[in-house]
Amino acid sequence: MRVAYYKGCLASLSAKELDTSTQALAPMLGLELEELDAVTCCGAGDIHEAEPDYYLHLNARILAYAQATGADTLMTICNVCTLNLRQANHMLQNDAALLARVSENLEKVGAPPYSGGVEVRHFLWMVADDFYDQLKLVAHKGLKGLKVAPFYGCQILRPSKLMGFEDPDRPWSLEAIIDACGGEAIDYPAKIKCCGFPIIQAREETALGELIQPIEQAMEAGADAMVTPCPLCHLSLDAWQQKLEASTGKAFRMPILHLSQLIGVAAGLEKSELRFRRHVVSMEPVLAKLEGPS
Amino acid sequence: MDVALKIWRYDPESGERALKRYEVEAPEWACLLDVLDIVKDQVDGTLAYRKSCRMMICGSCGMRMDGRAILACKERMKPIVDRGHVPVISAMGNMPIVKDLAVDMGPFWQKIRAMKPWIEPGYEEYPEGGEFRHSQEQMNPIHKEALCIMCGCCVSECNSMEADPDFLGPAALAKGFRFVGDPRDQAKVERLELYNSEHGIWDCTRCYFCNERCPKGVDPRDAIAKLGAESIKEGIDRDMGAKHAKWFVRSAVTTGWLRETELVPKTQGLVSAIKETKFALSLAKRGKVPPPFPPHVADKQHEARMLRDLIATQGRDGALGHVQGERALSRIEHAVMADPDHAGRRRDAPEITPGEAPVNRDIGEQP
Repeated sequence: MRVAYYKGCLASLSAKELDTSTQALAPMLGLELEELDAVTCCGAGDIHEAEPDYYLHLNARILAYAQATGADTLMTICNVCTLNLRQANHMLQNDAALLARVSENLEKVGAPPYSGGVEVRHFLWMVADDFYDQLKLVAHKGLKGLKVAPFYGCQILRPSKLMGFEDPDRPWSLEAIIDACGGEAIDYPAKIKCCGFPIIQAREETALGELIQPIEQAMEAGADAMVTPCPLCHLSLDAWQQKLEASTGKAFRMPILHLSQLIGVAAGLEKSELRFRRHVVSMEPVLAKLEGPS
Repeated sequence: MDVALKIWRYDPESGERALKRYEVEAPEWACLLDVLDIVKDQVDGTLAYRKSCRMMICGSCGMRMDGRAILACKERMKPIVDRGHVPVISAMGNMPIVKDLAVDMGPFWQKIRAMKPWIEPGYEEYPEGGEFRHSQEQMNPIHKEALCIMCGCCVSECNSMEADPDFLGPAALAKGFRFVGDPRDQAKVERLELYNSEHGIWDCTRCYFCNERCPKGVDPRDAIAKLGAESIKEGIDRDMGAKHAKWFVRSAVTTGWLRETELVPKTQGLVSAIKETKFALSLAKRGKVPPPFPPHVADKQHEARMLRDLIATQGRDGALGHVQGERALSRIEHAVMADPDHAGRRRDAPEITPGEAPVNRDIGEQP
């Protein structure tokens, strides 16, 4: 299956490990990724808030370049990109006058027109749905019953009318993937709540008050590691964890995996593809457990 | 039909909390509120909850079912009974519980009042003829916000408010936009200044729980985004949240991709950023602080810059940029997914719900 691939800002820079592990996994699953070069940031909800008309046009431009590849699916690997692109796409697909104006604007600046022909889907959904049977074959090394706490984050669940994939209060996709990879999914209430990332710079205290819930609950539930489909959640959980440790005096040391790394470990990807050295919280305890006796 | 439900009871005098099961006979058309009335009438007269209109307009019967904030008068029981499910009913979150399912809405009303929820018309005398006329088009920007019935379902689930109880929150801010966007109101700039306070617009963490829960389609998060857009349009941008948002626009216009490393000093200012040096170094060691040079520039980036110049002349600036998409977005059904194709793969979530779990803050300390 050939899809247009939008990796977004973080996977291009500070979360390169997400991109390399996704690219390495894709052919194993039977996914052909067509990377888009002429696209920009989706605005991350910030341009949506600051200049909504510009947000709509930037996202329409991404959709237009995806459509120009001939693929009918634009695959994302970030919750925030998913919401921003799906929201813009819904606006354009359900309002002919709006689509006409935006598409005309795109052509005026030399970009391809957009006719609403692309569906935006997150990697998580594709693996949990289209490639689930393939996943069971790919994840041949297994996870030796590793206890993994799924953390969904917000913008892949809500607003559910824009997502349309699973029950936002009882999601199942990450659990199904952890299962197929041979891990044990840990359940805890905060798995559907916010990591605080959007306001971590402007309102750090509030953000940390949100971030502590999933980490603390996952730890209390006995998780060896957490997994998330969103690089922003990853950054918040992994890099800001030290600030939680400083403010609470507790040593969490909770390893945080990108979804593609979790599958990647079970599929036996190379170290150079998983790139755990780019994480702030060490992955060593997890790797030791996986290398130990089953 | 036979209906079973579990209710989190709370007795303010003893401070005791208990999850109690009730089984009653109810007509097939019954909603949750009808069932609670039957329980109160036939089983336990001490059960406390609020109600009034029974038709989704008074906003009194907000509570949680299986951890989701809902209006008791809107939830039909038959499909739940048919599934054999026994729902857990509890009080809303983020507000202190008075008794059983009734919460203290005091802080909620305080925040609504803080928005100055009245029109400042900017005139003292009526015009000749006695009325001002406004077109539907002029009122469209606040159509959704005007639907709010102030039930508190959005506030119940607000993730920012859990961490910062002083956050004005989704209901109050949606009310704020209802006046900022009203063509009769002449106090827009003063309002935006007020709503740009420490616990205002930029305290929202975009968890979208408010949009998910609102039983009337107000979409409070979108109202907050409208306030953000109007603030930046009016040049009210001293808040770190506004600076953060503006840096994304600047990045798109200059390189196309987010200029990540410069985001911190552009948001917090250079001095604060320097104070964070130790933290930044711990991230840099792991490749999480990409060098700004050479910049990561998108192919054909000039198109993104030209687009911004082009649309600046098309009259959809500020909140109108949001309003233009509302018609299309309202065409999508707001429904929980029930895809039978996934039945084999889907795992029933364990009996943990935010309403039932002991770790949830809504069950915490009581007066």
